[in-house]
Amino acid sequence: MIEVKNLKKEFEKTIKDPGLSGAIMSLIHKKTTTVKAVDGLTMHVDEGEILGFIGPNGAGKSTAIKMLTGILTPTSGTLKINGQIPYKNRKEYVKEIGVVFGQRTQLWWDLPLVETYSVLKEIYCIDEAKFKDRMDFLNEVLNLQEFIKSPVRTLSLGQRMRADIAASMLHSPKVLFLDEPTIGLDVVVKDNIRKAISKINKNDKTTIILTTHDLNDIETLCERIVMIDKGKMVYDGSLYHMKETYGKMREVIIALNNPEEIKNIKPDKKFGLTADDYDIAKKANSVSMKFNSAKVEIPDMLNYILGTVSVKDITVKDADIEEIIKKIYKSEVKPGEAV
Amino acid sequence: MICICSEPENQRKFLDRKDGNKLIRFIKLYKIFVAQFLKNLMEYRIDFLTGAVSFLIGQITNILFITIIFSQIPSLAGWKYYEIMFIYGYSLLPKGIDHLLTDNLWSVAYFIVRKGDFDKYLTRPINPLLHVIMEKFQFDALGELITGIVLVIYSAIQLNYVPGAEEVLVILITILFGTLIFTSVKIACCAIAFWIKKSGSILQIFYMSSDFARYPITIYNKGVRFIISYVIPFAFTSYYPAAYLLRGGNGFVCAGKTILISSIVFCISLLIWNRGISAYESAGS
Repeated sequence: MIEVKNLKKEFEKTIKDPGLSGAIMSLIHKKTTTVKAVDGLTMHVDEGEILGFIGPNGAGKSTAIKMLTGILTPTSGTLKINGQIPYKNRKEYVKEIGVVFGQRTQLWWDLPLVETYSVLKEIYCIDEAKFKDRMDFLNEVLNLQEFIKSPVRTLSLGQRMRADIAASMLHSPKVLFLDEPTIGLDVVVKDNIRKAISKINKNDKTTIILTTHDLNDIETLCERIVMIDKGKMVYDGSLYHMKETYGKMREVIIALNNPEEIKNIKPDKKFGLTADDYDIAKKANSVSMKFNSAKVEIPDMLNYILGTVSVKDITVKDADIEEIIKKIYKSEVKPGEAV
Repeated sequence: MICICSEPENQRKFLDRKDGNKLIRFIKLYKIFVAQFLKNLMEYRIDFLTGAVSFLIGQITNILFITIIFSQIPSLAGWKYYEIMFIYGYSLLPKGIDHLLTDNLWSVAYFIVRKGDFDKYLTRPINPLLHVIMEKFQFDALGELITGIVLVIYSAIQLNYVPGAEEVLVILITILFGTLIFTSVKIACCAIAFWIKKSGSILQIFYMSSDFARYPITIYNKGVRFIISYVIPFAFTSYYPAAYLLRGGNGFVCAGKTILISSIVFCISLLIWNRGISAYESAGS
């Protein structure tokens, strides 16, 4: 469905010294540097798949998405989606895709939502019967009914996002690009939007590329993730595999009868762990200890804790994906290395 | 298969001939926006009234200014007071129509490109230029249009001028293609934003140069005359057609020249626009 090979995008950037004099100098003598926003991205996405596309801010996610959607022309590399080359057959290509940029709406500020959809109906040449069916489906999935007559400018962020997603789905696209569709939304709305995305994916077999900073989105929706950083791919695989491979850092939450006893827990002395392999943090009513389960087995650690301090309650947490990703983002681990 | 973008223009022609109902679709879409606009008038009433009134005041001041000057100078380079008023009024017609229909191009020059909002237009299966244009209907332009019509009719009466059938045809053609000259200049200038992010001031300068064409161009030196005739050909939006109407000449040549010149400017502006789209860099998000 989506075939990307060695995709690159470079931008010419003017270097300016700070201040007004810097700005004037740059007018006279322009210094430029080449920024590689996307640097050799290769990936493949199957039909009907929901791919989580993640990476820290400035990793090149948006640039990559903009090339995939035909907005930007790649500097080099090949790109084939749904049998088409986005930037070449742009007008034909975009008929088959839907795009949502969570940060900015694609709707018309002053138009009532209903009118927005009739404009899109004309733009995409959707016939009357199909349009009605589609609206019924989207209404059911996204609950547009309650605000469909209001102008877009009066919608709340959650409503607007639902409206935006509906707008991108109106023409039943084969591929849907969702760039941060849950940004700034509350938990309930996020949950509703995730359910809607999942329903749309199942109903239409829509291939979905989802970028997000909310890992709950990823956990609920995506079987596979691609992580990029500095324009390069750093991980491609299932979420499960990521946890298996990198999720060696486990967390134990201990509630102590006597909080003072915290200083008695010394895994460095007992197991010879270095500072990289463990971390003890005092929380409001408990102690959180993270340690590398590749170095010390979980039962051994629990035995040690229970034998050392008087414990009121103890919990072992699942491998925390956020933790893994945070470490990869901070380049503390290279791909292939255990966290 | 290395696909460095070679000829994106091919896919981005203004109107593909094979799909004839595209224009109809565009008009249909424009109608939705105009209808919505009229509904919104009620809501943004104060803004609309202010806009229209400020334009009217601007135009009236201009007329007063001309009146004062020409009460001192009964003629200018052989042009009488009412003839000058006729040329002045005529210049407002294509300008006003263009202003009414394609005002959103100013937003492209000032912020749509700079803020990366142009993304939206590139993800829709409709020509981005038409898409941008249809989104806004600028009612303030009525100030210009009404002033223009009033001036032309009033000065024509004073001059005892009655156009014949051929003249009416020339009027229609020159207004239509004069409008195209304005639109083309706007397209070309706002497209510069694709490279330099913000081209509002450039557009402003070129747009303002149309003010030269409000007066008989015989008052300028050769350089200025050449520029407003063949470089930024605003003279074809008012002086040339008005001179033909008032002083006579070959109507076929007058209309033909206007059509030719405006078509050339239009093609150039589309070329710049299409190149601009390939150079578009969007904005970070």
